[in-house]
Amino acid sequence: MQEPYVLQVKDLHVSFKGQSGMVRAVRGVDINLPKGKTIAIVGESGSGKSVTVKAIMGILARNAVIDQGEIWYEGKDLVKATEEDFYQIRGKKIGLIFQDPLSSLNPLMKIGKQISEVFTVNYSMSKEEAKEKSLELMRAVGIPKAEERYNQYPFQFSGGMRQRIVIAIALANNPDILICDEPTTALDVTVQAKILDLIKQIKEERGISVIFITHDLGVVANMADEVYVMYAGKVVERGTCEEIFLDPRHPYTWALLSSMPDLESKDRLLSIPGTPPNMVSPPKGDAFAARNRYAMQIDLEEEPPMFQVSDTHYAATWLLHPKAPACEMPKFLQDKIRRMREEAQRYAR
Amino acid sequence: MKKYMIGRVIAACVALFLILTIAFMVVRLMPGSVYDDPNLAPEVVAMLEQQAHLDEPLLVQYAYFLKGVIFENDWGVSAKVEPGVPAFDILKRQIPYSLTINVGSLALALPIGIVAGTVAALHKNKAGDHVVSILVVLGISIPSFVFASCLQYFIAYKMGWFPIIFEPSKGTGMQIYSLMLPTIALSLSPIATIARYLRGELIEVLGSEFMVLARTKGLTQRQATIRHSFRNASLPLVNIVIPMFAHVLAGSMVIERIFSIPGVGGTLISSINTNDYSLAVATLIFYALISVLTSFVIDIVLGLIDPRVRLGGSSK
Repeated sequence: MQEPYVLQVKDLHVSFKGQSGMVRAVRGVDINLPKGKTIAIVGESGSGKSVTVKAIMGILARNAVIDQGEIWYEGKDLVKATEEDFYQIRGKKIGLIFQDPLSSLNPLMKIGKQISEVFTVNYSMSKEEAKEKSLELMRAVGIPKAEERYNQYPFQFSGGMRQRIVIAIALANNPDILICDEPTTALDVTVQAKILDLIKQIKEERGISVIFITHDLGVVANMADEVYVMYAGKVVERGTCEEIFLDPRHPYTWALLSSMPDLESKDRLLSIPGTPPNMVSPPKGDAFAARNRYAMQIDLEEEPPMFQVSDTHYAATWLLHPKAPACEMPKFLQDKIRRMREEAQRYAR
Repeated sequence: MKKYMIGRVIAACVALFLILTIAFMVVRLMPGSVYDDPNLAPEVVAMLEQQAHLDEPLLVQYAYFLKGVIFENDWGVSAKVEPGVPAFDILKRQIPYSLTINVGSLALALPIGIVAGTVAALHKNKAGDHVVSILVVLGISIPSFVFASCLQYFIAYKMGWFPIIFEPSKGTGMQIYSLMLPTIALSLSPIATIARYLRGELIEVLGSEFMVLARTKGLTQRQATIRHSFRNASLPLVNIVIPMFAHVLAGSMVIERIFSIPGVGGTLISSINTNDYSLAVATLIFYALISVLTSFVIDIVLGLIDPRVRLGGSSK
């Protein structure tokens, strides 16, 4: 039987030992990554997105503990994998692109060597061969004058160029899965678009599956086949890109969409009041309830399960319970979604 | 790199010239005169002073001094400490002893300090780290002369493993053997300092993003540490270790006394005490030269290690 998913995360719980107790950063996350597709994980800072992918890569900080859960890749549970097992997987099968290209390259090592050491160390290639391969990669990620750039140092590169190098390093191992952890956050907007195009192009050329982490919904719309919205260590809503943008069900997704700028809106952007909960002692019930205008009594008492909206669309909110009072998304957002629909149709034509 | 080096050389020369001037002035401005001796007749003193140009204005004396130093390598003649012997010759005889224990102690301190610092960093907050931390505190807080006296008493006197003081007469082998204890005594604080700094730097580098990237490239932790962390951690270490040379040299003045080593340290003290102008200035310049040379070497080494310094790039 053909396994439909290249990577499956099941009920993952990760905690950090903190000074005031265990910080429950990830509290039961399920993710399915279909082969050759892109999924996006969206959420604000501290929602557990990065921790989830670090657990997948086996690069959690020393004080982190995986309390329970499974991460299935190629018939192996990565939660139980040893550091030696990870040497075969990390980089070679699952590549990672970081948030900050400024600090993720070694400032004292030539760019060329940072790419080519993947070949010389991991695959025992000769220096010349490794250089040839590295130059090829540098050209593939759009570095002009690769030959000359090969012998330069990171400080001689701009932010966007550095991120291209980081992408080249990730591609050097020819991974099956590419995890992009907010790859454009540290870049300015024009460069962002180019990097996103590059990732998209790479994905299509090489048939890589991509996990894309971001807090920028605008980025998601361009990239993802499927979207996971995370809040306080949990996936609160998941669905196809269209379902999340045009038919969101969770109040948190509403709030996220409302805070996203668009060109035509003349209203003030809505911000989400309050801050995410303290994860040392996560609140009872729905973690978003305290910031949620639509919260009901039950939200404060019991955690909502995942309600199914369609085959691909799920959301964890009591509003979807059959007995819940009918509740419409805010007018502001309805207008916005209408505009998005119109725009989508305009592009379709 | 060439331009960078030339710049450093010019800076070093300017610094040296300034030090030369200041050393000369400071020594001359000390109260009293080298010939303040109630047993000498005033005429004799006047004659001696005239010979040494001491009756001329300070600036003229300075000109004579500069002329001698620059054109004839003439640093003057010692008047009191070893009357009649050129200051340059005295120093030439003494410098090897001082340099032996100084270079020796750093050569001892570097490998031990690096190993201790690395062990502490790789075993952060575990037993190895705590042991090193305790030793570091001891090493930094115990003055070298106390440690030297302890070594002298327990190791040399009680156990009899080493000579108690420097043995000048029994050949080079014996001389080196008797210089070992002072070398060890001097290396204590450098070991502690190197270990402490390397631990801090390594921990910072090991936690940096590019180490994570190195691991996500598929390198093992060991490969990543060796290839990516040591060079980066050694960068600030250069700033510590090289000036340590000048620092250790200063510390060795006391150690030389304790072990009766005929080094430069004793000469500086006695020449200043006796107002032996020429010898005092020459000794001061020797110390200054070492300091200027070390900072020059730092600049060059940093340039070699760090491309950002060499190529004049921005901070990141």
